[in-house]
Amino acid sequence: MAEVADRKAYEEINRLRADLAAARQQQSATSEILTALGKAASDLDAILGTVVESAQRLCTADVSQIHLVDGDLLRLARAAGSSQEVIDYMVANPVDRDRRSLIGRVALYGRTQQITDVLADPEYGRLELQSLAGLRTTLGVPMVLDDDLVGVMVVWRTEVDPFDDRAEELLTTFAAQAAIALRSVNLVRALEARSDELARKVEQLEALAEVGQVVSSSLDVDEVLSTIVTHAVQLSGTDGGSIFEFDDAEQEFNVRTAFGTSTALVDDLRRTRITLTGTLVGRAATLGHPEQVPDLRQVPLDPHLQRLHDAGWLSVVAVPMLREGTIVGALVVRRMTPGGFSDETCDLLGDLRSQSALAILNARLFRELELKSAELEVASKHKSEFLASMSHELRTPLNAVIGFSEVLLERMFGDLNERQDEYLRDIWGSGKHLLELLNEILDLSKIEAGQMILERSTFGVRDALEYSMSLVRERAARHGIALNLEVGSGVDLLDADELRFKQVVLNLLSNAVKFTDDGGRVSVRATSQGTELVVTVSDTGMGVPPEDRERIFESFQQGKRAAPKAEGTGLGLTLSKRIVELHGGRIWLESEVGVGSTFCIGIPASARMTSGQPMTEAPDIPWPSVANVVVVEDDRRSSELLALYLRGAGVEVVTARDGEEGLALIRRLRPTGVVLDIRLPKLDGWDLLALLKADPATAPIPVIIVSMLDERGKGFALGAAEYLVKPVGRDDVLSALARVTVLPDRDRLVVAIDDDRLAVDLVRAVLEPEGWTVLGATSGAEGLALATARQPAVVLLDLLMPGMDGFALVDALRRAEATKDIPIIVLTSKTMTAQDKDRLNGQISYVARKAEFDSAALLSLVERVTSARTSRASEAP
Amino acid sequence: MKAQVVLVVEDNEHNRKLVRDVLGFAGFTVIEATTAEDGVALALERSPDIVLMDLQLPGMDGIEALRLLRDAPKTRSLPVVAVTAFAMRDDRERVLSAGFDGYLEKPISVRALPDQIRGFMGSKEVAE
Repeated sequence: MAEVADRKAYEEINRLRADLAAARQQQSATSEILTALGKAASDLDAILGTVVESAQRLCTADVSQIHLVDGDLLRLARAAGSSQEVIDYMVANPVDRDRRSLIGRVALYGRTQQITDVLADPEYGRLELQSLAGLRTTLGVPMVLDDDLVGVMVVWRTEVDPFDDRAEELLTTFAAQAAIALRSVNLVRALEARSDELARKVEQLEALAEVGQVVSSSLDVDEVLSTIVTHAVQLSGTDGGSIFEFDDAEQEFNVRTAFGTSTALVDDLRRTRITLTGTLVGRAATLGHPEQVPDLRQVPLDPHLQRLHDAGWLSVVAVPMLREGTIVGALVVRRMTPGGFSDETCDLLGDLRSQSALAILNARLFRELELKSAELEVASKHKSEFLASMSHELRTPLNAVIGFSEVLLERMFGDLNERQDEYLRDIWGSGKHLLELLNEILDLSKIEAGQMILERSTFGVRDALEYSMSLVRERAARHGIALNLEVGSGVDLLDADELRFKQVVLNLLSNAVKFTDDGGRVSVRATSQGTELVVTVSDTGMGVPPEDRERIFESFQQGKRAAPKAEGTGLGLTLSKRIVELHGGRIWLESEVGVGSTFCIGIPASARMTSGQPMTEAPDIPWPSVANVVVVEDDRRSSELLALYLRGAGVEVVTARDGEEGLALIRRLRPTGVVLDIRLPKLDGWDLLALLKADPATAPIPVIIVSMLDERGKGFALGAAEYLVKPVGRDDVLSALARVTVLPDRDRLVVAIDDDRLAVDLVRAVLEPEGWTVLGATSGAEGLALATARQPAVVLLDLLMPGMDGFALVDALRRAEATKDIPIIVLTSKTMTAQDKDRLNGQISYVARKAEFDSAALLSLVERVTSARTSRASEAP
Repeated sequence: MKAQVVLVVEDNEHNRKLVRDVLGFAGFTVIEATTAEDGVALALERSPDIVLMDLQLPGMDGIEALRLLRDAPKTRSLPVVAVTAFAMRDDRERVLSAGFDGYLEKPISVRALPDQIRGFMGSKEVAE
């Protein structure tokens, strides 16, 4: 008995041991499944694969499968142990919910079912499968989620060998796990779908925002439309699309832009006439809502669709673009596959097309404007060119008209009677007037072509105003018109183009005199208002009505101020306005009808500050002052020419037109020299010279007299430093200036060029005590300009400089006629390579290393190279 | 004293005649050319005392003609005055920087022309 009991206990232990092993296996399989679940929540296949494999193994089955509910059918989802043939058969033959199969029975009853031998079951109907797979005993359990059957899990054996309770229990567990996996995967999928949808919405909104941005910021319609069509295609998940613009005149649609479309097709579409009637696009536009064709193979094709079909497109939707009831165009997207377009897609396209319509309209307007302004620009350019060439062509014959009448008026060829004299004066006067008109036309066309360049200088405001007034004084006197001038305190010098300033003032003055009745008054007033110099010219004429006050500054507009006694060019005010504006100033009119007009100009007093000084000049450390000279000369041309000569040599020039102005300027500016004419208004040259020499402050300033009369003796007696008889040339003036040491003697002049200012100062410290004048420059370009203008005895330069470096500078100096003979000393910290030496070979006099700088050596070097040159120059005839 | 010879290079007939009459009246001998090419040839052949050169000429312009005159030893220091029909200052600077000894603006001043011519000749002599 004990033996029996022992055996029972032994069997029991064995059973328990087996159970334990099975439980262990099950647990490990479950955990495998759980791991698979956790690892690849979204990969249902992998989870179901793990489940069926575990079931096959633990239930000691030949095959394990999962079938999932799909409507009324159950379809194979995953199998383990099945041949491909069986799988193919089962995929092709899904299972019905009926008693003909085990799976059908499980689905039908929602309960676990087992068939011990399918061949012995009279109701079993899947004999084809049986013969293919050889199954005999089969067990199935339902997969249930929330009381709903979602699938069936089945195992079978190819021998008759019923599954025990443990196998059933295991399979139930696996089925439950598969169901859970299914649920979690479905949840993840739903979540993913939701988030995809959200992402798509966000993308759409962003795209719409971007399109809106492009529409509002870009007037390039092609850019806008291509942005729109690109987004339309991408957001609707289609393969390509295009935007058509409706041509109202031709009543047809023209392709404007396309995306995802071959160039060949686009070209084809361009050639295709897509009319309003009989086309998909036309129908959509006429009906005002999207029209689609899910399959181009199934419908009659219009020319547009025919082209699409030929190019391989199969489905298409056209969305009309309308604006306030009129057809603007259409947005079309298409796929290479057949199928309808969802409402969502159509809505999205709807949003985009309204943006497109707006873009096309904007761009149309802009295009028209652009076309118009381009036409205008061309016309204006032609006008300027025409005026410039006409005025030039007209000058030539005018020259003869004025010249010959002058010849006769001069009585060169005999006397004239009174009538002849009068008529000749008329001819001469008309010619002059015509010339004035031409000059103004030329000026205006230069301004309009952007070719008028201001020549700024510093001049006295009072004198400029007096000069302009002197030119109308005679005419004013003839009509008994009083002229008066008021110059406010603080009004002194102005930085502007002196000639242009006088031209403007003269123009306003001649108008004022012209439009003022006999016995009236014209007043000129100059005041300093903040940073602006304001000059007003007031008359006691009839005034300008408000409606004409803007127009009067336009060409050929004299307003209603019919001038009974004078002819105007009609261009003066336009020209004045442009000149003032070129100075950064403004011009305006204050007027009261019946009382008079006041024309005002405001010119920034600090004009020079804004007129772009070269960047190379550091404003904080003053360079040794380049000579500045006051030219006192009443003849405009002579004065201009003298100024031109002097400025060309780098001398600053301030001009005065009469002796009083000259005296004031000289006293204030203390120039390094004075060029003085003798016959001057107000205070003549002799008196001015005497006053200068009597004042200790101005006595040392050298004065060069430039006169028509040769009265050297008197000039030198009064203290003139030089005396030149007119006419004088450039060299006369410059050498006279050099002689009176206004200009440093060229033979003792050094130009030192180094971007390191200290190096220049060092050179200066060495050379200046020995009687040299050192002009410094901190860049190659500046140095070149200085050397060219002043032609020093020697140029000292550094090789390494930003911008134009020493090598380039040497080349430039050697190439130019004016500087090619000037000795060059290179003073550098650069170690000279053989190549460097090659580059400089024969071009320079000497190279000195800065590191070995020795002031005595530098001085002797400079003396040596310059004396060699002087002696060579003196040998030349 | 022998009359000084002025070479006038000017394509416009009326203007040429004007200068000829005015200078003739003032005692100059005037020789004329209508193109820059002829002007240069005449200058080399006749060695005038001064040349009045119109800038805008058919074919070669006045500035090129000046270059030719400056290149030839015989005319290198001959005073050459530009006659310009445009009065803009930038043009004037262009003219002076081209190396002319002076410039005259059209319309020329009949009264002043003889003195201006003498002035240009004198200036050149002083400078040398």
